[in-house]
Amino acid sequence: MASPGNIPQNEKSKSFDIVETYHQLLKEDPDLTMPVAAIEALIELLVQSRAVTVYETLDLVKTQSDYLKSRIPNSISLSAGTDLFQRYMISSLKPSSTGNFDTMRQHLLSNGRLFVSRAKAGREKIATYGRHFVRDGSVVLTHGGSRVVGALLGKAAEASKSGGNVRFKVIYVMNDARSSESKAVVSTLRAKGVPVATISEGAVGYAMGKVNLVIVGAEGVVENGGIISRLGTYQIALLAKAAGKPFYVAAESHKFVRLYPLGQYDLGIDQEVIVFKTDKEDLSSEEKKFAERTPEIEEKKEYFAPGMDMPKPNTAVDAVDFTPPALVSALITEEGVLTPSAVSEELISVWW
Amino acid sequence: MPSLQAGYAPNLGIFLKSLKTAPLESSIENLISLLKRRQIRNSRPCAIATAHLLLQVVAKFRWTDIGNLLERIQEVGQRLVEAQPREMVVGNIVRRVLGMIRDEAKEDRTEDASDSTSTSQLGSPRRERSESGSFRTEGGATSSSPLRFVSTDASTLSEASGDDVFGGRSQPTSRPPLLTSHTSYAVLNGVPVQQSMFNLLSATPTPSSTPPHTSSPHGKSTISASSLAQRIVITTRDLKAEVISGIEEIIDELDQVDDQIAAYAQEHIHSNEVILIHSSSLSVQKFLLKAAEKRRFTVIVAESYPNDHEATHAAVTGKVSPDVEGDEMSTETFLKPLSAAGITVILMTDATIFAIMSRVNKVILATHAVIANGGLIAAAGARIIAKAAKVHRTPVIVVSGVYKLSPEYPFEFESLIEYGDPGNIIGYGEGALVDHLEVDNPVYDYVPPDLVDLYITNLGAHAPSYLYRIVADHYKPEDINFHKPELQF
Repeated sequence: MASPGNIPQNEKSKSFDIVETYHQLLKEDPDLTMPVAAIEALIELLVQSRAVTVYETLDLVKTQSDYLKSRIPNSISLSAGTDLFQRYMISSLKPSSTGNFDTMRQHLLSNGRLFVSRAKAGREKIATYGRHFVRDGSVVLTHGGSRVVGALLGKAAEASKSGGNVRFKVIYVMNDARSSESKAVVSTLRAKGVPVATISEGAVGYAMGKVNLVIVGAEGVVENGGIISRLGTYQIALLAKAAGKPFYVAAESHKFVRLYPLGQYDLGIDQEVIVFKTDKEDLSSEEKKFAERTPEIEEKKEYFAPGMDMPKPNTAVDAVDFTPPALVSALITEEGVLTPSAVSEELISVWW
Repeated sequence: MPSLQAGYAPNLGIFLKSLKTAPLESSIENLISLLKRRQIRNSRPCAIATAHLLLQVVAKFRWTDIGNLLERIQEVGQRLVEAQPREMVVGNIVRRVLGMIRDEAKEDRTEDASDSTSTSQLGSPRRERSESGSFRTEGGATSSSPLRFVSTDASTLSEASGDDVFGGRSQPTSRPPLLTSHTSYAVLNGVPVQQSMFNLLSATPTPSSTPPHTSSPHGKSTISASSLAQRIVITTRDLKAEVISGIEEIIDELDQVDDQIAAYAQEHIHSNEVILIHSSSLSVQKFLLKAAEKRRFTVIVAESYPNDHEATHAAVTGKVSPDVEGDEMSTETFLKPLSAAGITVILMTDATIFAIMSRVNKVILATHAVIANGGLIAAAGARIIAKAAKVHRTPVIVVSGVYKLSPEYPFEFESLIEYGDPGNIIGYGEGALVDHLEVDNPVYDYVPPDLVDLYITNLGAHAPSYLYRIVADHYKPEDINFHKPELQF
């Protein structure tokens, strides 16, 4: 049995590596979100495990979740999934609820596919809610490769085809570091008959005057209603606010994560975005420590045996930033259109 | 169908009187045309008329299960909303009634379940509506289902009933007898149902995410079918009385709402303050009068020419203009005018608002409707005031009954604004001028949430960002889009 603090690498789980499973799941299904992939990985873990008691199972799930989180450079989004999974198990086992351990376990094991399909259906639902934000003649600015936003704009485009008369245009902010993803999004939209203009990240402020609304996706929605999303979202939100344009976030409610960042450098993850350099390489170690990266947190050292690789910090390619709630007009979730302050309530209802 | 035997009803008072005697269907048509012709207008009269009409609908409709009743009210509500979509309170009242019926049914059901060993599981109502077709066939095919008894019961009853004008519409559907709210209290396979974020993992199929036929709505029932049917007939009667008293409570709330709001007045208005108000509103007037009982303060009134200035003058001086008549008058005329209550009143035109704002301590606005994002629809000119107040950092307080709070999310604010009679601005007598001009007279303004500091409702004071919570408390999610079936999930 794995005890907290140890690397769960005993003979039993040798054959099963949760990190590998997680990556595998994400690779197999490009439509899968990170939290759902984490949930799937944990279900897979339950299938493999021979834990029989409640405590043993909860403990196993907890250690493996922490282990998974420690091995992924940006664990914010997936931690929403692992937290939700653990809270679900715990609240199902409360004495006040009528559930018992075996039925709950059985339910989780047998319905893995159902959860995935629900998560995807949630996306459809968001698209159905969200497409009403896209009115005839409006210009939508978006960026990143969010599948929810893709579904939403696709739905709006379908509405125009089926006589709904929604002729909207999209301004897409290209990301040079991820040009293949950007191109894919743009070509999908163009294939649906939506006129798309691509601009560089430097042109957002210039383009904002032509924009009616901004819709972006999110990796995680934090407790105060702010979002954690692809690098560049924050500046778009600031520009939208300055121009008085509504800034909407489309995200499933399983991305709500219990985190309260106080600023950009308080996300609890390492990001190599700001790297100071001079021509001469030999900075003293003191200087290096000060200048090399944005502030970092203590690694979970206990999960790393001497020979193991530490996860690499996020580079600018997949770095994220934090958009504070004051810049968000509304969150479009499958539970409806929420104000940012509604997020904390949802989280409280799950955690307490 | 619309018969005019109830007579031509030009306002709320006559409509309410006619309700008691006129056949239901003609009352419905009557209210629809009154709404369309704007003979009943403004939030409160619309809300009162809707609540009274729904009371009649429930009282006169013979039903055996909640599903029928909900469907009936949705249908009536949809017609009313379509008649005047800008009077958002009509939809609000319909949603309140629907939500109240769902609660009553749920309560009833809980009592029912607690005295038997029944574990019967019902489909969620949202799914119910969207797939009612498939359910009907399903129910008919399952011979062991208790629903069959209900369905025969329902059809015999509706054949026998004479007082229901629903007539041709009533279908012998075999719906599950009672509907529960969106989160069922029931337990399926021993796994409890969870809150919204747990929907992803929960055991109960959510309406949108499961293929339609994975679970039967009938579940397993351990009590015999006939006894269940009998119980339903008995409980229906109790339920009807409960629903009717629930609607009466809503009507009472509409009567008392201004007094409840006024109870908070002394917490917000202090001595020697300068308050700016705009146009005429019963809520604001009562609010100020209540504060004036204890405090001396100054009120600057922006007259809101050209749509509401006469009523505003009347509120200040107590003189009622001759065209205000009927029911609305009865309460308003007996209110003390502001000047008589010892308040120093300064009347100004809307154009002077910015100039005077630096002297104002507080702005109190009335509303036409409040929307879920915390913004509001108010008499034209309200946005100028709110904006000017923002520039001067003057707090803006909005007084509004909870019944004006609408769960609809406004996607296009322009669509909420009504354009009124341009004749108010330039009379038709000035033909030469009218020929060369296009005259617009918007009646309402949209005030975005960031211009409002505080809402005072009959429930207390709230920040604009908290309004979503009150919306969630008052309306059930499945009722929010009841009038737009294409938005139902």
